Formats: sequence, C-alpha cells, structure tokens
Amino acid sequence: MSKTSNEPIRVGMLFSQTGVTSNIENSERLGTLLAVDEVNAAGGINGRELQLVSYDPQSRPSTYSALASELILEDRVKIILGCYMSSTRKAVIPLVERWNGLLLYPTLYEGFEFSKNVIYTGAAPNQNSVQLAQFMMREYGSRVFMVGSEYVYPYESNRIMTDLLVEHGGERVAEIYLPLDASWESYITVAKKIKAANPDFVFSTVVGDGTALLHRAYAQVKLDPSTTPIASLTTCEAEVRQMGVDIAEGHITSAPYFQSVDNDTNRRCVQNFKARFGDDQVTNMCWEAAYFQTHLLANAMRQTNTDNVSALLEVLPGLEFPAPQGRVKIDEHNHHTYLTPRIGRVNSKGQFDILEEADRWVRPDPYLVSHTLQDWSAKPQLKSPEEP
Amino acid sequence: MTPREGTSRLLREIRSLQVVVFHPEDHDGQELLAQLQRIGCQAKAFWPPLEKLPPDTDLVFFSIQPEILSIDLPWLSRADSPPVVPVVAYENPVIVEAVLKLNAFAVITSPVKSFGVLTSILVAVNQAERARDRENYIGRLERRLAALRKVNKAKAILMNTRGLSEEEAYKAIRDQAMSKRVTAEEIADAVIRANELLGLDSKA
Repeated sequence: MSKTSNEPIRVGMLFSQTGVTSNIENSERLGTLLAVDEVNAAGGINGRELQLVSYDPQSRPSTYSALASELILEDRVKIILGCYMSSTRKAVIPLVERWNGLLLYPTLYEGFEFSKNVIYTGAAPNQNSVQLAQFMMREYGSRVFMVGSEYVYPYESNRIMTDLLVEHGGERVAEIYLPLDASWESYITVAKKIKAANPDFVFSTVVGDGTALLHRAYAQVKLDPSTTPIASLTTCEAEVRQMGVDIAEGHITSAPYFQSVDNDTNRRCVQNFKARFGDDQVTNMCWEAAYFQTHLLANAMRQTNTDNVSALLEVLPGLEFPAPQGRVKIDEHNHHTYLTPRIGRVNSKGQFDILEEADRWVRPDPYLVSHTLQDWSAKPQLKSPEEP
Repeated sequence: MTPREGTSRLLREIRSLQVVVFHPEDHDGQELLAQLQRIGCQAKAFWPPLEKLPPDTDLVFFSIQPEILSIDLPWLSRADSPPVVPVVAYENPVIVEAVLKLNAFAVITSPVKSFGVLTSILVAVNQAERARDRENYIGRLERRLAALRKVNKAKAILMNTRGLSEEEAYKAIRDQAMSKRVTAEEIADAVIRANELLGLDSKA
C-alpha cells in the first residue's frame, strides 16, 4: 500500500457459488459482503475503500488452487477470505505459504493444523464435538450410528466421537461414508440401515447437498427426531432452509453461533443483513465467522495502516472482536479462535432453540488428541428455563 | 479404511512425551519449539547439545550443524537412547552420514514448517518402540536358544552315562527342575558341570 494513495484496498474472496457446498459457501460470501459494507460505511480502512476480488471455485479443490494462484499472481491480492471443505483449504494453503499470503478460514474443521499464513475462525473439535457428545450421551444414550461424507473431516470427527463413546462404555453401531455426490437411493439405503439398527442417535458428518438428502431419507423411512435425532456439527440454518423445516425440526447441532443468539450485537447484525439481502435470508455459524473475520481483518488493517501480510500477522494474533456470538479472540499461538460453544435444536420456524451454552469462551486447542467429557473448560452451562 | 476401535495409545499419550530440542535459537528453532507447544508435548530447548540428557527424555530433535559433527555425545547411540529426529539444513554426504549414524526413523528439514512435525514425532517414537520390542524379543530368543543347547547337552550326558533314552533323559531333567523349583536350564547346567568335574562322560 503506497502511503499517499486513496485507492481501494483489495482482498480476495473464494466461496463457491456452484457445486455441492455452494449453499453454505454462498452464506459465507454474504456474511463477508455484509462486513465489507459495514467497514466501508464506517470510513473504510483509514479512508480507503475495502474491495473484494471474488471468484467461484465451484466446490472443487483444483479450482480453489487455480483461483488462489490467479488472485496472488495476476490480481496481486495476497489476502484471501474463503474455503469450506478441508480439501479446499488444503489446496490453498501451499500458495499462501509460498507467497506469504494470508487465508482467513471461517469454517469449523477437524483440527490438527497450524499455518502461520492462516487464521482459523470456525470451531475446533474441542469447541463443538466434546459438547455435542456430552449432550447427546446424557440426553439420548450412547449407541451411536455414524454417517459421513467421504473426505477427511468426517473421518477425524468420527475418531473423536468414537473415543468419547468408548471412554463412556458407549457403542458405535455403524460407521458409514458416502461420496459427496451420493444419490438419493444411497441415502435411502443408509436410512433403512439406521432404522434397522435402532441407535440412540445418529452422528452425521454429511456436508453439502447430501445433508438435505439424509434428512429427507430419514423422514421417508419414518425415523423420529424426537426419539432418535441426528446430531451434527455442520447442519445449520442454511441447510435447514435448503431442506425445509418439515424434515429438519427436532434435529440437533453444536455450534458457537445460531441466528437465535440473544444479544444486541446479533440482533443488529441480523437486521442489517436482512435489510441488505432480503427478509428471507438466514444467518448461521459459517456466515457469522465469515462476518466477524472480515471485521477482524479490517481492524488489523486500520491498526497497521497496511495490507502487508507480515505486518497484519503482528497484530491479528490476540485481536478481539465483539461478534454476534459474543466476544471472540484470535489465539496468539495457534491462530484459531476463542469461541462460545452452544447446542441448538431446530424448531418449527427453522430456527434453533438454544438448549445449552458455555458461560464463557473456550480456548481453541486444535492439536488435542484425547478429549474428555470431564474437561471443565468444555462444559456448557445449562440455560436456566426463565431465559428466553 | 477399516473402522477403528479408539485412538492408539501413542497418539493419546503424545502430550506426556518429554521432548528435548537441541537447536540454536534461530527461526527454525523457534518454529519447532512453538509447534511442539501447539501439539502439547513437554518440550525443552538447548544449544549447544547437552552432554547428559535430562532424565525421562522420550524424544530428541537434533539440529545437524557441521560444527557438531566432531562432538562426542555419550548418550547417543546407546541401546537405551531415546529416538532422535535430525533437523537438517543440508543434504551433502557429510550431513547425510551424520544422520545415518543417528539411526533416525524420521527427519525434518529446514526451513522448519509446522506441518509434518506431529507425524515425525509419532513415526520416530513408534519405530523406536518397535525396535526396542524387537531387541527384547531377540534377547529372549537368544536366551531360550542357549538354554535349549544346554538341556540338549545335559540330555546327551545322561543318555551316555545312564543309558537313558532321549525322552527319559529329558524327563529326568524336568522332574529334577520341578522338585527343586528351578529351571530346566539350571539342572542342565548342574549336570554339565558335574560331568566336567567328575568326568562321568567317559569314553568307555
């Protein structure tokens, strides 16, 4: 950034608008757009406009890699907001590392990663999996049927869940993986297997369009969420809207944010978002991370008065922000984010009733191998009934 | 991929590993130590390398610098030495020779990146455990083989001097061992010694 110019500061954005995970990635894109609007309405980066250079990576790792190269080498943009699936993040990381760029990644993932050129603003397993396992085993039992999409996140998430089960005398009834583009028939087959196995609950790590198919198949074979719910770390308001409330109601998700989080910041944000993008829009955990990470970036740019990555990496670790979920902070040592775990259940309006929430943020620990339910830092507080 | 039954002990215990880093306090050294701390190992860093390892060291990361090639470290390459992961900045024959001497199972390269450190730790510790198990197993086999040789020799003596069949000779040794509550090897030893002392095994 030359010191005298008033020209815009450009930042890259890679969220898929086509392909299997475009529904949720589009939501991350809209969260980013809202934050950029707010940044510019508040005077931009010390008077300079924040501009996005956006491409459609089509939910495909190879396209992600090609477009990240294009952003860095052709557009001369070193900062990228983007990625949903771990496979797409892994495709971008070598490029930001080689050119000393910066990727801000707003999606929960399976942990076991640190790059000095990445800031991770979604939940690590110690901020969502442990809480989910604890809640589900207590409320529903410990015979679990696991179904996931075939890529790295479901395998690792199921490892963590299996450990927590084994430790508490639970049982993994089955562990099934489906291709990301699996057919309706394969989901019906899985749903029938679930029905036959009669587990206490289903742990789903299915992502993308498959989520709706799984829920539809679940309803089709008449599995009842009130006795045997699907528990997930990814199924959020965006998927609920995509699949329809009728088949989503009663299922359970662990996330640091739901649209129903009750505080002024969130209410204002949701209001702004609907005013800008339409009343039918919903927010969700990925939208929120995309939103607050853009504000964190803008604040770091204002503070350093530059878009130089080395300078930004001096101030981003440790930076805090009053996000819609509550206060968040980027950890100084592992570049992941302090977040507030919550458990929600889909209600008849397609929103989540928040059943539990932690009474304070939880430090991210992406390299934690052995999670334990006794860990006090991971224990959510039961919401008292008089709270709305 | 086959379904798992819980995470392996090695992975579960990674946060209790006592790791010693012998590396100068430069960018690589800092990056390595920071990553070990993210992983959650108990890590300590020193430079130059210590003459004596801290007690209970499970794993050593060792920067292979040209100037340390001539240093003699007594704790290295002993049977009970912890595994060593060399950190290498050069790939010339002198450095590679030094790495080979360390009997390393994993190597990390300069510039040190966070990615790969976890796998190096696990490969090194796992292979070292297996090597130790193999050594122990070989030791047990060798001792059993030696015992077998003695019993065979004692059997031959009894067969020669007492006119016993092989089966009777074996039974005699075993019965003695049982009644005196010692091993067959010890009885065999006694037979062999007595024979040498008294020359019972006459050529007659």
